[in-house]
Amino acid sequence: MSGNGLADAARRRFNILALTPSLIVLFAIAGLPAIYLVVTSLTPFQLINPGSSTDFSSPMRNYSLLPGDPRFVNSLWVQAKLSFWGVLFQVLLGMGLALLLHTQSRIVEFARTFFLIPMVLPPIVVAVIWKLIYTPDISPLYYAASLLNITMPSLTSSVDFALTAIIIADTWEWMPFTFLMVLAALQTIPDEFSEAALVDGASRLQIFYYVTLPFITPVLIISGMFRLIDSVKAFPLIFLLTSGGPGSVTEVTNYYAYLLAFDFNEIGYSSSVTVVLLLLVVAVSFGVVWMGRRREVMS
Amino acid sequence: MSGGGPIRHSASWGRLVAIFVTLLVLLSPFLWLLQMSFKSNELILQFPPPLVFTPTLQNYTSLWQGAFPASFVNSLMSASLSTALALVLGIPAAYALSRWAGRGKHALGFAILVTRMAPPIAFTIPFFLFYRYVGLLDTVTGLVLVYTSFNLPLVIWMMQPFFDTVPPSLEEAALVDGAPIRVIFLEIVLPMVAPGIAATAILCFLYAWNDFFFALILTRTNARTAPVAVVNFMNYEGWEWGKIAAGGSLVMAPVLIFSLAVRRYLVSGLTAGAVKG
Repeated sequence: MSGNGLADAARRRFNILALTPSLIVLFAIAGLPAIYLVVTSLTPFQLINPGSSTDFSSPMRNYSLLPGDPRFVNSLWVQAKLSFWGVLFQVLLGMGLALLLHTQSRIVEFARTFFLIPMVLPPIVVAVIWKLIYTPDISPLYYAASLLNITMPSLTSSVDFALTAIIIADTWEWMPFTFLMVLAALQTIPDEFSEAALVDGASRLQIFYYVTLPFITPVLIISGMFRLIDSVKAFPLIFLLTSGGPGSVTEVTNYYAYLLAFDFNEIGYSSSVTVVLLLLVVAVSFGVVWMGRRREVMS
Repeated sequence: MSGGGPIRHSASWGRLVAIFVTLLVLLSPFLWLLQMSFKSNELILQFPPPLVFTPTLQNYTSLWQGAFPASFVNSLMSASLSTALALVLGIPAAYALSRWAGRGKHALGFAILVTRMAPPIAFTIPFFLFYRYVGLLDTVTGLVLVYTSFNLPLVIWMMQPFFDTVPPSLEEAALVDGAPIRVIFLEIVLPMVAPGIAATAILCFLYAWNDFFFALILTRTNARTAPVAVVNFMNYEGWEWGKIAAGGSLVMAPVLIFSLAVRRYLVSGLTAGAVKG
């Protein structure tokens, strides 16, 4: 028994040795910056005014300004619209695609890989691609429209269409993600279920509604949540296609924080905007983990 | 959704045609960029677009003669160095976590998830201020450190399930023979998870390679990465569409090749929180 105890002690020692460097590095490059961000958000720090970085005379000033800042409130609203429509389309289209490609065939299995291309492209390349599509002089889309005698407005500089243009590009980029997740879920459904339903005379629509959908609903929710969290990061598309404009029609909170810090030099205020954004992300992440845990318990 | 049910049958012709048409429509914006990179600037502006044209490499050669190769090297260096650093630190940590049944495991897992989920701007402001202070702005070292902040959690998150699949009985047998855990880890466990390490390494590389936001803010000219260089063709040198298309194609080439190699692991890597952005 003493041999076992020795092995346990050795194992513990090894675990500590193996974990410590990672924890120290993670604390240094993720923990400390997070703390620094919160500290900075309590100051009126501007780059042109170095002394302001340690001015804690009215720590809650930035946060008290937030509710009355129309640009900040607007940015949350823009983010909500972008996230809602983007996630909705990505989940629905991704599911449709997964159902279409859920079949046993060598060719289809080969083709699946190519459906993933938009998702793995560097986001800036995705933005360049859509810049080409949305720039009237060189766009095949505008040319096709002109052939049909349709005069298309300049999508990315139009108040009515700019956000839609971003949502379309974002959906194109991320639909493969939900597609991949739903496809994986579809493949775990036991065949007997639908075979039994088929024998009972169920139509395909009924099978989808009563057998397939209940099976993939958790995956639809989880993948939607992951996309929701990541939709906050839609930076390159907005940066390249609209720069937040026209006006602030496509200015999401992430982009507003970027402008505040690196265009207006309002580091302190930008930090407080970022802290709020971070808290929202943490809340949603917590929801994802909680739901994932519940699924584990249930299954 | 006719035919969309869980029933597995060989694909009908109708379905195959639908799949092919969908694929073509979906990929057309991507293919448009690719064909543009082989066109001269006059040809790019020509409508209706010619169905057949003589491809030219002039966009690529002019990229080669400019500052683009330097930024390509910067991208390669920062992505591979941060990948190496994250693997060296993260693999032992993932193994320890996999074998560790103690309390705090879930809390640690959540902390790692949050690090992966945090919007890049949250790290950019502190890193920018700190780098400005210590002179790491516009250096590859600075980029490597930032990229490690998201690659290290990714390694720990992704490698754990691979270690979970290694049967403990193997290790116990070696332990009984008196082998130290360090040796067991290096000589028995690591070779068994080699495919996992390869997949994780490629994902880390891709995430760092794909980064635009950090490089945009933390670099100027010396350490400028390829994605930022592509965008600069729009801002400073006029609208050189041919160069932009060729640059974009070059930036996406390694990504396409690698990600096809690890497509099986894409989901677990992405659900650990995509770093795109």
